[in-house]
Amino acid sequence: MAHDDELAQMQRLSNDYVPEDTGPLVGERQSTTELTAEYANGDPIYRTKTAALPRKYAFYRRCRGDGHCGWRAIAFSYFETLIRVADVGKLDVEQVRLKSMQNLLNAAGHSDDIVGDFAEETFGLMQELAILMTTPNSDPCEHLLRNFNDYSRSMAIVTHFKLLASAWIQAHPDDYLPFVLDYPDLKSYCEENFERAVCEIDHVGVAALSEAVVKPAGFALEVLYLDRSPGDEINHTYRAEPLAQEGFPITNPPTLRLLYRPGHYDVLYRAEDFPVVIPPQAPIQVALVGQTGRYDPGAIAAPIHDYSDLLLSIPGAKMWEAQPTYDFNLNPSPPPQVVPVSSYAPVPTPAPPPAEPIHDFVPPPHAPQVNSHPAPRHHSIQLEQPVALPVHPPPPMSLERGLPMTIERTEPFRPSAYTLEPGFGANQMHALPFQTSIFRNSHYNTAHFLNPDFQPEEWSPGAEYATSNRGRHKSASQ
Amino acid sequence: MASNTVAQRLQKELMDLLTHPTPGISAFPSDSNLSLWTATITGPADTPYDGLVFKLSMEFSPEYPYKAPTVLFRTPIYHPNVDFSGRICLDILKDRWSAVISVGSVLLSLQSLLGEPNNASPLNGQAAELWDKDPAEFKRLVLARHKTPEELDAAGL
Repeated sequence: MAHDDELAQMQRLSNDYVPEDTGPLVGERQSTTELTAEYANGDPIYRTKTAALPRKYAFYRRCRGDGHCGWRAIAFSYFETLIRVADVGKLDVEQVRLKSMQNLLNAAGHSDDIVGDFAEETFGLMQELAILMTTPNSDPCEHLLRNFNDYSRSMAIVTHFKLLASAWIQAHPDDYLPFVLDYPDLKSYCEENFERAVCEIDHVGVAALSEAVVKPAGFALEVLYLDRSPGDEINHTYRAEPLAQEGFPITNPPTLRLLYRPGHYDVLYRAEDFPVVIPPQAPIQVALVGQTGRYDPGAIAAPIHDYSDLLLSIPGAKMWEAQPTYDFNLNPSPPPQVVPVSSYAPVPTPAPPPAEPIHDFVPPPHAPQVNSHPAPRHHSIQLEQPVALPVHPPPPMSLERGLPMTIERTEPFRPSAYTLEPGFGANQMHALPFQTSIFRNSHYNTAHFLNPDFQPEEWSPGAEYATSNRGRHKSASQ
Repeated sequence: MASNTVAQRLQKELMDLLTHPTPGISAFPSDSNLSLWTATITGPADTPYDGLVFKLSMEFSPEYPYKAPTVLFRTPIYHPNVDFSGRICLDILKDRWSAVISVGSVLLSLQSLLGEPNNASPLNGQAAELWDKDPAEFKRLVLARHKTPEELDAAGL
């Protein structure tokens, strides 16, 4: 009887289900905790799975359920990934590649003057994005979102992608014919399943589109199925790895992710896909959290190696890998400070003029902070203090300290439950190289109080897990 | 922006129809409104509609070409898949519409629908029955219902 009730309830839920055909074609990026909330009173399996979702996949983007959601989700994330890899050349390459697929479209019986209209919108958007990506203070992502919410442009791009998938299938009959049942030939199958104005993407469509568009671009495509299969988290995924380029498989490719709920696709993201969201200097604060327990104001002048030894024991503290090498950096760094002085020295002007530039130049930017902020408000600066003073740079010490670090860094394989998954942080490489200790203390850093856009660092507990990964990633990739 | 691309597409289709005229079909937008077209098709040979000329109206929504145009027979027609108001039951004008279908291919499909009705899902049940049972009676009813464009104009339709 309970079984019957269950079935009846499922039937009722199924009858009550109304596909969402309102709202923007592609929504703003939002936290997946909203999905958790959405299913909080729902089916237990969905509840468990959506509760586990934000841990791995922090954000998602709703697509309108108008029958195009899957196509649009893939097209949108394809463009978004192109922006994310931040390579304008890549946009040009992709544009040329997609243009070269016009042959496939012609072979599938589509004339240029009909298909050209749709393709033009794809290429037009690519060109606009390329311009925006090289324009300072512009937001290509915003432009992308706005254009994907423009009905005719969005539909033109979706149609172009659908036709590409259709043409791809017709050009590769050996790969797809076995999947095609109940149709006399591939052409009628494609007309029915890909070329109709309103046809939801099916698995063959996802596969074809990933073969035709996503994989050759060097991107991976992942579809995560949120369904009622047993499990505590989303456990069923489809993944298409990008094509090897020049014979080498791509490791950690940029990945397009879709969240599939039966009958509907949305765009899904990991937190790492958006490096900006994470306060870039959080790892330092992670280290300090470990520090506060034994923090003793009297021990401010503790020798530096105590700190780094301590930091070594903290997971994620390998952002500090700059630390041991910093002693060596110090040696080159004083000369630039001295050079201007000597260049001024021979000038036979009175003493004050040279004194002023020296005054401007000599104190390292962080030195005044150290003096003016004795309170342990900015721990990171406090920690820097001993480093900045070239009082005792003992080479054997730094060598000793450097050694374990190098071993850790050169070891790419760490069998651990926390090992990074493939694809992690493929695009952080672009953001990170500037986050050196020197930059942190520069007034070009927004976290520096002299920066006109000063934005103090904030500790966000939620980002702690992600940032510890981040540190590990950096050490692994060096 | 949306209406602009609809206009672009329709202009392109018009150019295509004018530069590559297909015997038996024609289409042209109304004077004042590019999204309202009048079309004609000629009944195919060896069918009950042989040589008859039919006038149609085509209305293109702002969502065109992602939504099918609304096509109606203006000339009264006796056909299994057309009702007495001129509404047409044809898959490509409904759920099998595709953005790559042009005005020309719609008209060609309608032309072939005249010779090959889909009697499995008729709008006019009597016509569907007669098509197979009594071709002579079918032809008589077709001719009885048909009006030439001149007669239509005279009737103000």
